[in-house]
Amino acid sequence: MTKRLSGIKKVFSGIRNFPRATSIQSIIALSFTAVTILSIIFVSLALSQMFSDSAEKNAVFNTQQIMDQVNLNLNTYFKGMMEISDLIRSRLKADTENNENTLSNILEVTSGIRKDIAAVAIYSKDGTLVTSYPKRSYNENFSAADQEWFKNSINDPTDFFFLPPHVQTLFEDERPWVVSLCRGSTFYDKEQKATLTTVVDMNFSSIEELCSRVSLGKRGYVYIIDKSGNIIYHPQQQILYVGLKNENIADALNKEPGSYFENFQGEKRIMTIKNISYTGWKMVGISYVNELVTDKKYFLKFFIYITLFAIVFGTMASLFVSAKVSKPIKQLEKQMRKVENGNFDINFEVKGEDEVKHLSKTFNIMVAKIKQLMGEIIKEQEEKRKSELKALQAQINPHFLYNTLDSIVWMNENHNYEGVTVMVAALAKLFRISISRGNEVIRIADEIEHARNYLIIQKIRYKDKFDFTIEAEPDLLQARTLKLILQPIIENAIYHGVGPISEKGEIQISVTRDEDIVLFKISDNGYGIKPEVLKELLSSESKSPHSDGVGLKNVNERIKLYFGKEYGIQIESEIDVGTTVNIRIPFMENGLKDGGKNGITK
Amino acid sequence: MESRNRPAIFLLILCLLIPVGGCGKKTVAAWDDDIHIDMIVKDSRYDYWKVVKMGAEAAGKEFGVAVRFSGPTDEKNIEQQIEMVQEAIDLKTDAIVLAAGDYIELAGIAEKAILGGIPVVIIDSELKSDLVKSFIATDNVSAGKKLGEALAEKVGNTCSIAIMGFVKGTAPCVQREEGLHESLKNYPKINVLTKEYCNSNEDTAEKLTEQIVEKYPDIDAIVCLNAYGTVGTARAIEKLDLAGKVKIIGFDSTPEEISFMEKDVIQSLVVQNPFSMGYLGVKYAVDAINNADIPQRVDTGSTVIDKNNMYLPENQKLVFPFTD
Repeated sequence: MTKRLSGIKKVFSGIRNFPRATSIQSIIALSFTAVTILSIIFVSLALSQMFSDSAEKNAVFNTQQIMDQVNLNLNTYFKGMMEISDLIRSRLKADTENNENTLSNILEVTSGIRKDIAAVAIYSKDGTLVTSYPKRSYNENFSAADQEWFKNSINDPTDFFFLPPHVQTLFEDERPWVVSLCRGSTFYDKEQKATLTTVVDMNFSSIEELCSRVSLGKRGYVYIIDKSGNIIYHPQQQILYVGLKNENIADALNKEPGSYFENFQGEKRIMTIKNISYTGWKMVGISYVNELVTDKKYFLKFFIYITLFAIVFGTMASLFVSAKVSKPIKQLEKQMRKVENGNFDINFEVKGEDEVKHLSKTFNIMVAKIKQLMGEIIKEQEEKRKSELKALQAQINPHFLYNTLDSIVWMNENHNYEGVTVMVAALAKLFRISISRGNEVIRIADEIEHARNYLIIQKIRYKDKFDFTIEAEPDLLQARTLKLILQPIIENAIYHGVGPISEKGEIQISVTRDEDIVLFKISDNGYGIKPEVLKELLSSESKSPHSDGVGLKNVNERIKLYFGKEYGIQIESEIDVGTTVNIRIPFMENGLKDGGKNGITK
Repeated sequence: MESRNRPAIFLLILCLLIPVGGCGKKTVAAWDDDIHIDMIVKDSRYDYWKVVKMGAEAAGKEFGVAVRFSGPTDEKNIEQQIEMVQEAIDLKTDAIVLAAGDYIELAGIAEKAILGGIPVVIIDSELKSDLVKSFIATDNVSAGKKLGEALAEKVGNTCSIAIMGFVKGTAPCVQREEGLHESLKNYPKINVLTKEYCNSNEDTAEKLTEQIVEKYPDIDAIVCLNAYGTVGTARAIEKLDLAGKVKIIGFDSTPEEISFMEKDVIQSLVVQNPFSMGYLGVKYAVDAINNADIPQRVDTGSTVIDKNNMYLPENQKLVFPFTD
């Protein structure tokens, strides 16, 4: 019951103590885990930030590189176009006979093999078509003379310019979208200054191929704009044309070549601008930052996993370590608690770290020392009691001896030699039993004999003022008793009981057995004891001036010391009627030679 | 000690497996070619629908969905179109973009698809159904009004005209007529001599025009309400050598119509934006698949062009769809 209660208490105190985390295990586990988690989170965040930064930088760098490559290809492409127009020009100049047939021949040679050239046309100064490649039925409703670009070309024949995408209207049947290179050339034809304008119409196959090959993430793309912001090429050209979407052209137009972050229609993008040589166009690469962010997310996820792993692993490791460290300490604590509860019979070996081992060893030594000291104290105490006992026993003798010797002297003076003989013999017996080879415990027969001799002596001394009887159950005679317990009682019965009365006294002593108890009964018909005296007589605290009570108290204390609290003396007394003293001791069989020690430890 | 470590080791292995499992599982991308959208138009071969298809393909490319384009070989072959819708349902397509050949007859099959969990986006021509998610088309009343304005501009306030409708009673035809009549109210001296229906057949339109010109020699102009009618009428006028005398205000911008306009046979065309229809049709179909909100009605607009402004940058972008 108490054990369970203390268990419940323990649990409660455990709960109370938990938030304060005062046990070594929880302190180690918590701090270890906290440090692990914090450092992992810190490292993860730092790394993911670094990753995302470098991912963005990489993206910009990659975009630049890709764009450079595309730019190179586009430059080569437009350079090729320029070379074709150069070639046509040089042939035009060299050829003085610029009739339609030779011109058309030139065009076919220079342009016929190029699939990306939709058409080449040569116009005279007044806008009439001289020739073209390919030769197909022309659109009669179309006149170059009305066109802005033609006028520009005539005004400055040395200039060249690219026309933004437009519908080719040269031929009757088809209206493809083309980009045109427009170039004038002046030469002297038959001493006459002549100007011809060459228009090279390029279809989008090459430009598109060059631009669409670019991979700027999943959704990234490249587009081209001219100086005035017209879209030259865009992967979603028609979608932009019909106005279903917008492109951030104004920004691209105003910015110098380089990479920029922009927010367009709620999305963060990287805009990379490059100039395309010859044309004055700009190539713009768009990549979406949130595609990089998916990379970021991936990293983040990865780091979350690492963190989770570290948390689980770290927690487990810290629990393990803290358990390992605190386990021997806990064991030690358990042992200490045992000691606390009074069990010194422990000697345990704690496995663990050196410090803890040392601690337990020291503790063991300490407990052993305490145990030894306690043993010594007990022994000392015991010896002290024994010496006290012996002193108490010794107390009896001087009074009596003095009186008895006095009586013997007195008898001798009166020539009562017989009396002297009896008395001296009784005294000798008395002392023999009294000494009894130093044994504390003697046979009841001897104790009775001792009492009898004492009574004989006293009877003589008191001149037959009293009679006495001693009765003992025969089978008790060989049983044992603490010695000299009857004599002090008898002494009291004579001095204070039968002594003071005028009539003849009667002292009866009986020894009976009741189960495990031996009862000595000493009755007298003497004066009796006053109740207030009787009350104080046996109490240990009383410092009775009645010095004669000392013997009675001594006996009582000796019995209690020797056999335990349940034994001892009990007194019944009535004034003018008499006193009966009952002494109870345990029944001890013959053979228990040295009950002293047992008696005390009991 | 050993038994103490066992759960720890187990957890450790578990932790190692979690990220590996994460890597092994392929994340479902928004870019999914497994999404199929069926676009079923009225006439798979006609130029107008080819531009619609271009728009659809541009959207398909942008949103990463596969677009299956189909349509009957004849605009009046309603049965075939119904079959095509049924086929798309059977193939468990993810969404249908439909240009209904008939206002009423296609409604049943379209609703069947919708009730079967397939979103249906209607383009070009309206459908008689309340279940349709979205309708993307030219505002035909407004386009009809533009016809009237163009007529007044090219022919004048006082003239006699004929109207070449296409299929009597169909929604776009009725709406364009309505718009035209409304604008003509501003020009009380424009006299409508007759109204004919070519049933979306160029040859019929050609014959009807010949009859009209014969019957009304003083006629000033013919207003045509769709591409078939315009082409047929232009053919007849060119054949009869009446170009410029009997002016044509037409609809849409097929290459043949453009060619007629360059030759001054056709004076004005009201052009729609089929590219946008195709593009938005697919775009909203994708949105519908993703359960996003889509607009109920979208007007893709119409523009009047003539010979002088058709090659202006803003108009050529509309009239001549950019092809890669």
